[in-house]
Amino acid sequence: MIQHLDVDGVPTLLAATGGPMRAGLTFRVGTADETLVRSGITHLIEHLALAPLGLADYHVNGATAQAFTTFHTQGSEADIATFLTAVCGNLSDLPVARLDVEKEILRTEWSSRGAAAVDSIPLWRHGARDYGLISYPEWGLGALTADDLREWTARWFTRENAVLWIAGDRVPAELRLALPAGTRQPAPTASSALPQTPAYFVSGSRAIVLDSVVRRRAAASVFSAVLERELYRSLRQEAGLSYTTTTGYEPRGDGYAMLRALADALPEKQDAVLGGFIDVLAKMRVGRIEQADLDATIAKREDFLGIAEVDAARLPSYALNVLTGEPNLSVDEHRAELKAVDLADLHEVAGEMIASALLMVPGGLTADWAGFAAAPTHSAEILQGTTYSSKEGNAALRVGVDGVTLLQTGDPLTVRYDDCAAMLVWPDGARQLIGSDAIALHIEPTLFNLHPGAIPAIDAKVPGDRQIPMPARAPDAIPQPQAPVRQPTASATSTWWELPAMVLSGMGVLVVGALSVLLTLAMLLTETKPGEEPLWGGVVVLWLLTVILTLPIVKLRRRRRSR
Amino acid sequence: MIAAMPAPLPAPTFDAGAAYPEVEDLRKALDAADWPAVRAMVADRDPDGRTLLARVVGDQVGIEAFLQRAYDDNPEDPHAGLLLGAWLIRAGWRVRSSYRAQHVSRSQFAKFHEHLRRSEQVLIDVTARHADDAAAWTQRITNNRGLELGQAEARRRYDRLAQHHPHHAPAQSSLLQQFCPKWSGNWDRAFGFARECAQAAPDGALNAVVIAEAHLERWLEFDTERERAAYLRDPAVVDEVMQAGQRSVLHPDFVDRPGWVSVRSAFALIFSLTEQWTAAASQFTALGNRGTEYPWDYVDGAAGFTKFRAKAYAKGGQS
Repeated sequence: MIQHLDVDGVPTLLAATGGPMRAGLTFRVGTADETLVRSGITHLIEHLALAPLGLADYHVNGATAQAFTTFHTQGSEADIATFLTAVCGNLSDLPVARLDVEKEILRTEWSSRGAAAVDSIPLWRHGARDYGLISYPEWGLGALTADDLREWTARWFTRENAVLWIAGDRVPAELRLALPAGTRQPAPTASSALPQTPAYFVSGSRAIVLDSVVRRRAAASVFSAVLERELYRSLRQEAGLSYTTTTGYEPRGDGYAMLRALADALPEKQDAVLGGFIDVLAKMRVGRIEQADLDATIAKREDFLGIAEVDAARLPSYALNVLTGEPNLSVDEHRAELKAVDLADLHEVAGEMIASALLMVPGGLTADWAGFAAAPTHSAEILQGTTYSSKEGNAALRVGVDGVTLLQTGDPLTVRYDDCAAMLVWPDGARQLIGSDAIALHIEPTLFNLHPGAIPAIDAKVPGDRQIPMPARAPDAIPQPQAPVRQPTASATSTWWELPAMVLSGMGVLVVGALSVLLTLAMLLTETKPGEEPLWGGVVVLWLLTVILTLPIVKLRRRRRSR
Repeated sequence: MIAAMPAPLPAPTFDAGAAYPEVEDLRKALDAADWPAVRAMVADRDPDGRTLLARVVGDQVGIEAFLQRAYDDNPEDPHAGLLLGAWLIRAGWRVRSSYRAQHVSRSQFAKFHEHLRRSEQVLIDVTARHADDAAAWTQRITNNRGLELGQAEARRRYDRLAQHHPHHAPAQSSLLQQFCPKWSGNWDRAFGFARECAQAAPDGALNAVVIAEAHLERWLEFDTERERAAYLRDPAVVDEVMQAGQRSVLHPDFVDRPGWVSVRSAFALIFSLTEQWTAAASQFTALGNRGTEYPWDYVDGAAGFTKFRAKAYAKGGQS
């Protein structure tokens, strides 16, 4: 049983455990609540709240997700009380003295985290906003001030916007959650950057990943496991094409859940893995779902619901539902819901998954043949304005009163000032405008024949709070136009032998040419008598000789002209 | 006394109707837009017969609306999906090949790809519902080339088919094309696959024809007449072609099942080219005046057929 309690105004959940005591304090705030110019603010606050705690001998951690931020610990009753009391104290009174150090640590964390295959998916689905922000670097860090952070904590890290869960016998007596008062925040609204689905985009990754959004329900969660079994059987066991085949199901907090599937592939088998993946999806879509997979999945879930620790184990997800106001079920209700899931329900989920699908395919492949539309890689709109030509190639930059368009062959990029999520600003004049649809337009002033007023004009149009200063670049990091391709030319000085060679060659041509003409005429005007046929051979040889002697003149003349 | 003149040999025809009576019946049903009749004829066949009839449907022009309606009314019916899918592939290629490659406009390419994509999506559904539909998988192997989906994907499609039908000869011929260099394959893979199919096949089956086809493809790909001639004189080639024939058309168990005209045509041509005239003559005798565009188009179509038939009868004897 899960008890609902209250600790200093924070809703608190308590469930018994046979293992060590654990606790988590979760806030309804995450990267999806940020903007691109402020991205990283929640993560920075999470770090600052933990920073003064130093090295603990017990397990402590923090995690910033898309819609939730959690502080988690495991240890004795006293450890837990000390940890959470300190976290709340730090949140109410941020140790801003450590601000710059923590910013550096976060930058290091970002640069050292390996780019995972799935990292770019949110950007393609949502754009440079809410749920798409997690794809971007934490560009907001640099400009964030202590006041910015205090403002953010006052809004999001409040007791009304938090929930505490404890797996243990009781709430530790010394625990104090000194959080300011505030209001419960609704789940962020998910934007879409996809004009139509199912869609696909090409990535540099070798894995094939399907991302989808389905209504949150037991059948969808079961479907995820059933799909994983099918992928494993088809792509790994039977075809031997993939090593990893996996799926994930994660409620988003707004009544929907993210449902994902991944299959990896060797470089030479990528096309076959994509084909096999699409066939597995088709099998699900037409409703050929194996009853055995459904039964096995339900049995596994029922096993989980039967363990003694079930309530303690489901505390974290239970807490998220409390925060977002989504219903929580008892274990018996869960069981009943699971039992009710049938193949028709799974078939329905499959349809929803494919209808909302965004498929990531490896480079060189497409998925249009299977009915997936290409996700936009350029803009539909071309703005009016002053056009500046490129110093290389035939691109052009058009700076207008409403925004900027980069004209390239076939695929223009446009960012409107009023829809600009952020503009990266380099001291050397380079700019990158990022539209809320994630279209990124990069301007290197060295590569365009720009009017000196063009960049300042753009700067004046993009609101100051959308501009992100970037560190200065090393001179060799600033691109330069490719030097115009020069024809390889011969040495500029003429060599002494050229003229005599031309004269000699010319004289030779005259002599041999005249002979050739004479002999040819003679042969043509007189009848060829038997035995004279070899003379025709002589004519041919003479003409050939003439041509050969002409060659040096022609070649030398050309050399001289090209100088 | 006037010597009796031998009766002139009948002119060759590459019309499938000349070889298979069911083809004429199917065409009549298609002309009458009689879906139940069309469906019954296709449903009643074994995999070889269905693949053959799918090809016939693809060659019939002006039936798109009829097939689309049949499919829309019966989206779960494997025959409706197979025939629409097969028709769209052939129709797409008709758009593509009615002009020379350098003259194919962007809009024609778009139309070509549009046809192949529509076909693919119908066939994805058919094979998703009916994983053992050999004819539908065969169409998907063919479509893999036009859509340029890749070598490994083509093989995967064939393997899915072979799980249920290990010796479906038309699918093997189609995959062999994909494995040739002209479709981004290589000769090792092409011959490896052909030998794999021939060895696994039962005696007297159609399948060893892929060996003949592989040699025809290899022969055609040489740049010079000298290389071509040397290839056909190579004892290893001559022997392998004969052994393939003995496993197939020359085997006492061989019967003329659907697809036999193209199989005997391939052997007739390769036997002729390798100057194994008795074997070639036996194939021409069985063929009579019947042939198929593939492989005869490689040697000038009907003219090549007529030329080699005459030579085979003269040197190998007409039985």
